[in-house]
Amino acid sequence: MSTIRIAQLSCGTEYSGVQFEIESAARAVGAKIVYPDVSYSQVKEALDRFGFKPKSTQLQLMIARAMSLADRKFEADAVFITTCFRCAEAALVRNELRRFIQENTRLPVVTYSFTERLKAAQLLTRMEALVTIVTRKELLARERQSGITAGIDSGSSTTKAVIMENNKIIGKDWTPSGAVVVETAEQVLANAMKEAGVEMKDIEAMGTTGYGRFTVGKHFNCKLIQEELTVNSKGAVWLANRQRGEATIIDIGGMDNKAITVRDGIPDNFTMGGICAGASGRFLQMTANRLKIDIQDLGAMAVKGNWANAKMNSYCSVFGIQDLVTSLGEGKKFEDVAAAACHSVAEQVYEQQLQEIDVRHPIIEVGGTSLISGLVKAVGEVLGEEPIVPPHSQYIGAVGGALLSSGFL
Amino acid sequence: MSEQRETRILMISPDSKLTPDQLVRAVHAMVPEISIKETCYGCLVEGTRETVKKVVEQVRQIYRNEVFSKRRGYPQGDPRRCRAQHGTRPGFTQLEAEWECLPLIQYALNEIDAGNGAYEVPAEKKPIPVKEMKDICEAYR
Amino acid sequence: MKVFIDPPNSMVLFDLVERFGHEPLSSMAVIQEKIDNIEVDMPPMNVTLDDVVRGLKYAGVEVPSGIRGRMSLWGPMIEAADAAIIIDNAPFSFGCVGCDRSNELTKYLIHRRGIPALTVKYPTDEAEAKIMVGQIKDFLGGLKQ
Repeated sequence: MSTIRIAQLSCGTEYSGVQFEIESAARAVGAKIVYPDVSYSQVKEALDRFGFKPKSTQLQLMIARAMSLADRKFEADAVFITTCFRCAEAALVRNELRRFIQENTRLPVVTYSFTERLKAAQLLTRMEALVTIVTRKELLARERQSGITAGIDSGSSTTKAVIMENNKIIGKDWTPSGAVVVETAEQVLANAMKEAGVEMKDIEAMGTTGYGRFTVGKHFNCKLIQEELTVNSKGAVWLANRQRGEATIIDIGGMDNKAITVRDGIPDNFTMGGICAGASGRFLQMTANRLKIDIQDLGAMAVKGNWANAKMNSYCSVFGIQDLVTSLGEGKKFEDVAAAACHSVAEQVYEQQLQEIDVRHPIIEVGGTSLISGLVKAVGEVLGEEPIVPPHSQYIGAVGGALLSSGFL
Repeated sequence: MSEQRETRILMISPDSKLTPDQLVRAVHAMVPEISIKETCYGCLVEGTRETVKKVVEQVRQIYRNEVFSKRRGYPQGDPRRCRAQHGTRPGFTQLEAEWECLPLIQYALNEIDAGNGAYEVPAEKKPIPVKEMKDICEAYR
Repeated sequence: MKVFIDPPNSMVLFDLVERFGHEPLSSMAVIQEKIDNIEVDMPPMNVTLDDVVRGLKYAGVEVPSGIRGRMSLWGPMIEAADAAIIIDNAPFSFGCVGCDRSNELTKYLIHRRGIPALTVKYPTDEAEAKIMVGQIKDFLGGLKQ
């Protein structure tokens, strides 16, 4: 297999001391970072054509490099667009170039805004997904599961297992992730097999994803060990029966959120966030704990409430929750407070992540948090469109794993 | 190490008839113990700071206003900067742009050498007063 | 005298300052110091987190990291300079000088130091080139050794 060439369009990476980390992440997944060659005269021409003339010349160079990719003057397999966090000029260019690349090429693209603290590990999943999309095109095109296969999603909050046979789910289970990922995985797999009425020897192939995928994959000798961006996308479109055409997948996870746009079930752009607990499922868990209610009840309660009645002055998982407690002290209804918590998470996902992609329709909301009806309602309100929540929406990773691993049979 | 090694870009003005090959041969004849790499725009020279200084002085004597020079941070053939590794680095475009400008600088230096260096800085142009603009607009009404 | 050039990687300015008998302070020199440091292995430039943190001297944490990283390299040069020459509207400012905000801050820091500084306009024709080169020659000639 030849090395995957990821074209980097960037500003500030060298002077932020992160170029080395970017290249390390690419190398770790068998890819190589390349810069599209452009000449000075091409820069001038590209700016005229693109119509956006940033003051910073490195951003001008990014535009010319993107143009060179669009014109097929430079060959690459994927595109990584990255600029300094907090630079307004760069953020504008980053987003417009991402759109331009998507409109003019079929290359998968990921955007990222970095700080000087960026480490290669933070980029690994993104880089791995770019490589998967390029190298596993045929596997990702798979729309039907065949034989008897299992999928395990070893996530940061919960571990899920699914058994599938002839394109149907015949067994499933989930549990909060324990300290030893293999033990938790064994437990959910055993329960799922019990429900399915199959034994280990019946399982023809296994696929795994999520944070614990490498450990779990090695333990079970999985045929497929793959990052959650591509696996979850496949699981989501299978569950929602939207395998063809376009869609946006929103997965608000326990530790990080994913917003993925797909074309025929294959991601072509995605963002992953994970620096703020206030924008994650963890925030809702913390809210439920603080309100001394069950997380399952939080969603139903929120649906009945009005977020506007319980003002939150902060998105933060510490201060924001304090605001909610204060609201309760002022005599506000539990329902309103629960709605405010859901609205806060939805608003943050919208502000932080959905700005980095072009939302395509339909919107499919998945992951454990999609079971919290109040959050789904809040996401719908913020986006102005009700998301589709497919059945078994928390099992996307496991379903994706079972579906894709059957491709190895 | 920094005190020891100096790498220089010698760039020929596009208006000069000098070729990179001729420049390289001339530099070779100037000093021993210098490493030279011919490039499309001229050459890269590398040696101790003292040696490189001698080269630059002599180049400026012989090809007075035709060859320009600046230091380069990276040594010759450094893979961290090499174009073959992963494409051009952004500084390449800068060099290209400045290369296009060299004939103008060459002209100005020649004029100074010829005793025609007198210049007058033109007064800065200012936007016309709003009143004047208003009158112009109204004249077209 | 030590003359800071802006853009700090400009070949034209580097050459003219040296040609007229002074020492140009350029980004190439500081980059050489960084990349020749064999104790650091962070290619391509060996700019590290510590450098970016040092840049806090020039710009706060709310300022993008690329600006702070640049300023940590150029700031000390501006502090060491006896004079400065700035090309105001250089159409070429790629590479080290790709960030316009850093370039604006650099110009301001030169101004704040109060050292003799000349601002010239990038020429578009021969007459303007004569003005630019003439101004630079006169400015450098007027600096006391």
